[in-house]
Amino acid sequence: MKKRGSLAQQLASGVYNPVERLEEALYLISRLEEEVNAFITLLPEERLREEAREAQRRILEGKARPLEGVLVAVKDNISVRGLRATAGSKMLSCYKPPYNAHVVERLVDAGAIIVGKTNMDEFAMGSTGEYSAYGPTRNPWDMGRVPGGSSSGSAATLAYAAVDLALGSDTGGSIRLPAAFTATVGLKPTYGAVSRRGLIPYANSLEQIGPMARSVRDLAFLYSVIAGRDPLDATSIDYQPPDPYTLEPRDPEAVRLCVPEEIIDASEAPVKAAFEGLLSRLEAQGATIEYFRAPWTSLVLPAYYTIAMAEAASNLARYDGSLYPCHDSRARTWEELNVEARTRLFGPEVKRRIAMGVLVLSEGYRDEYYVKAAKIRRLVRDRVLGIVRECIIGQPTSPVLPPRLGERLGDPLQLYALDISTVTANLAGVPALQLPVSVEPLPVGAQLMARPRGEVDLFELGLLVEEITGLAGVSAF
Amino acid sequence: MRPVIGLEVHVQLTGAGSKLFCGCKADYRGMPPNTNVCPVCLGLPGALPVPNRRAVVQALAAAMALKCRIPGAIVFTRKHYFYPDLPKNYQITQFERAGGAPVCTSGVLEYLDPAGWVWRRARIRRINLEEDPGRSVYPGGSIVSSEEVLVDYNRSGVPLLEIVTEPDIPSPRAARAFVEYLLLTLEYIGAVNPRLEGAFRVDANISLPGGERVEVKNIGSTLEVERALEYEYKRQRLILERGGRVERETRHWDAHRRMTKPLRHKEEEAEYLYMPDPDLPPVLTRPLLGEAEALVATSPRRLLDEITGDGVPLEVAWSIVQARPAASLYMEARGRVRDPRVLARLLGVDYKGALREAGRGPHDPSNWPPAETMARLARLVEEGEYPPEAVRGLIIPGLVRDPQASLETVLPEKAEGLEAVVDEVIRAYPRAVQDYMSGKRRALDYLVGQVIRRLGRRAVDPREVRRLLEERLGGG
Repeated sequence: MKKRGSLAQQLASGVYNPVERLEEALYLISRLEEEVNAFITLLPEERLREEAREAQRRILEGKARPLEGVLVAVKDNISVRGLRATAGSKMLSCYKPPYNAHVVERLVDAGAIIVGKTNMDEFAMGSTGEYSAYGPTRNPWDMGRVPGGSSSGSAATLAYAAVDLALGSDTGGSIRLPAAFTATVGLKPTYGAVSRRGLIPYANSLEQIGPMARSVRDLAFLYSVIAGRDPLDATSIDYQPPDPYTLEPRDPEAVRLCVPEEIIDASEAPVKAAFEGLLSRLEAQGATIEYFRAPWTSLVLPAYYTIAMAEAASNLARYDGSLYPCHDSRARTWEELNVEARTRLFGPEVKRRIAMGVLVLSEGYRDEYYVKAAKIRRLVRDRVLGIVRECIIGQPTSPVLPPRLGERLGDPLQLYALDISTVTANLAGVPALQLPVSVEPLPVGAQLMARPRGEVDLFELGLLVEEITGLAGVSAF
Repeated sequence: MRPVIGLEVHVQLTGAGSKLFCGCKADYRGMPPNTNVCPVCLGLPGALPVPNRRAVVQALAAAMALKCRIPGAIVFTRKHYFYPDLPKNYQITQFERAGGAPVCTSGVLEYLDPAGWVWRRARIRRINLEEDPGRSVYPGGSIVSSEEVLVDYNRSGVPLLEIVTEPDIPSPRAARAFVEYLLLTLEYIGAVNPRLEGAFRVDANISLPGGERVEVKNIGSTLEVERALEYEYKRQRLILERGGRVERETRHWDAHRRMTKPLRHKEEEAEYLYMPDPDLPPVLTRPLLGEAEALVATSPRRLLDEITGDGVPLEVAWSIVQARPAASLYMEARGRVRDPRVLARLLGVDYKGALREAGRGPHDPSNWPPAETMARLARLVEEGEYPPEAVRGLIIPGLVRDPQASLETVLPEKAEGLEAVVDEVIRAYPRAVQDYMSGKRRALDYLVGQVIRRLGRRAVDPREVRRLLEERLGGG
């Protein structure tokens, strides 16, 4: 275990040295990447060194941009022009996007150095990082365990400190769960706060690109760069992210935290203990903690998976082997090409979700499944919005400690159950922040949920929690 | 046996400027394959659709022109089917039964049927605004003879209005009139140039009493709408008269052979997995209605009513309204003339006819003179300054050659010294004079002709020549 200082502070005081930081990162990569498997694509070292030297020059000349020379990892479902974007699938093993995602455009404009594209569950469908066509990612805190998914590589590379910031995407917990398993910080933003343009879609109405880091302030820093309106995303909202420099920890006396009993009950003992430990220390400092019943908790996973699978079936229809060809095909007709590509190039979990998605949208089933799920979603959203108007919801991010590799693969329901705590924020469109509460014996994380556009509340409370836990900047190496 | 006909007309919004959800051009004609494309209309992963405001406004204007019920919001729906020219393997459209509100429901179009000059009425079931797919190109000729298929995505994403009628159309001829009137209505909105190749396509449903409904697909022009339905009407009538059964089926119009053919595949029960498009929030219509209303201000119907209100016969008014520049000229110049009927005739009959003879399009405003020129010409005709023959034969052809020419340069010289010429002719053709004097009235026509010939390109009224000749020769 190691603790690093705040990147934001180094940048602000001008002591950040991109050339030195890159050399350290390249050393960590050479030592750990083969085992961890956090990256699907790494940029050539020479090119990275050149960019670091250029950034260093700009810093010395006083021309530093907000993220000048900062090392960033980008999840492989986010488009970077000319750089392979596989989304963890064989289907896109040769696809090089001809355009940058909106967030990548902003990163590049801010002077960040993109180190590579990170490993992930295929098309973001998975909660452990094991459903990647490019092999599973391992958890740097315990190489026998999963780092969580689907933003597995982004979380893992932060945990072994090869980068200081990372982009993930969160459809039902895909940023927060891996952040919880790797003791890092991750935000699922308010729906519409970050442009989805360039994000290879899984379930458009649920997902957001979000920032990942090792501390709340660094995360807020990245968030201030990527958030804000994009006129080319019709679901984007007018929104000004909080200023990362002026953020202060919230006064504990002013904290009102609401805790859903159902989620606490569903958590295994070590998780519960760590989380309740945090609650009592907050309470000791003067915070108000309230428990409430959330009887809809049993409905969130069925509703979430029904909607996500329906949208997935639709989004993945375009992969028919013709516009994204990348295999030796024996097909003689277009129909054969379709069947061949979708049979050979999609993994099992993706096929399962497409099949279920087609079912729930079919005539005769749509009302019973898709339409009903949409109704439950509205109900859950209304309830949650009612609560976050009054207080911040706090709960463990994952009901369990990081599972061992292979442990959750046998039964899909066991896999989906990992998302019990996280999917609610996606159904409701509200922001949710995950941050570590303990790393002994294994990482446990807490999740805070606020009103739409309430990221500032999350950051302030997050800074207070970091004061209590002392885990800001922690990494496994 | 009277047929029952319903139509499904797909019209590209070629006037929308850009495609429905991206900045590529709505009119792709003449561009090399796959050069009018971007990540959005290629359906690349992560590319997001953003509705083209102009296309939505034009669609709403169409809904207003067709007196539709317009919903408070347009909700886009994904319609899934696998096809090579559909890059996402779904089309963004609307489908009310899956929560996607169309642009309009329950409208009506009153259209002029020039066969008999009657107004007819067809109810509109709904209008959808959707993306056109790409285009399949068969290098080997046809879908049957070609080894491979190439796809050109230049058309992919072009805004398309799908206008569906109730089965209210009484004949193939009326179906053609409906489509022509509908296209004219949309042209006046500024939504489409129907003369562009492939700007519209028609699917037609036709049934006869005692038979099932047959859908005819792939009709590409208004003339073919009539032909295809006429063919199908005769085919079905023959079957029924022989005691056979007309099956419910989909047929394909072969414009080359001028016949309908059954589609090879029996249609399966389609499963389109309709779903509201999560990338597109509902488009609220209220804030756009004012803009749309401005586009329907000059509808063909309103113009026809105005022009016929001036006493112009409906046929002439219709001829004017069919060519938008003529209609604008008429409206601009009508206040500057004493008798608008003269102006109407000049525009709708004489000038338009001369354009046709010269092989120039009546729809191109640059082929028409300025309103001031037309108004002055009309006044000259009203005042009897120039006889109709001179106007049709000399002045208008001059303007057609150069519409920007000043009227003076195309006006023929006035025939000075007409009497001298008449005397000259009387002296030169004593035999004809003799014939006329001895009662052969046709000899006078000959003499009139000779006078006009000697006058050359100068303007003269033949009646005046005749009057002068009769006067000189003592009335015969």
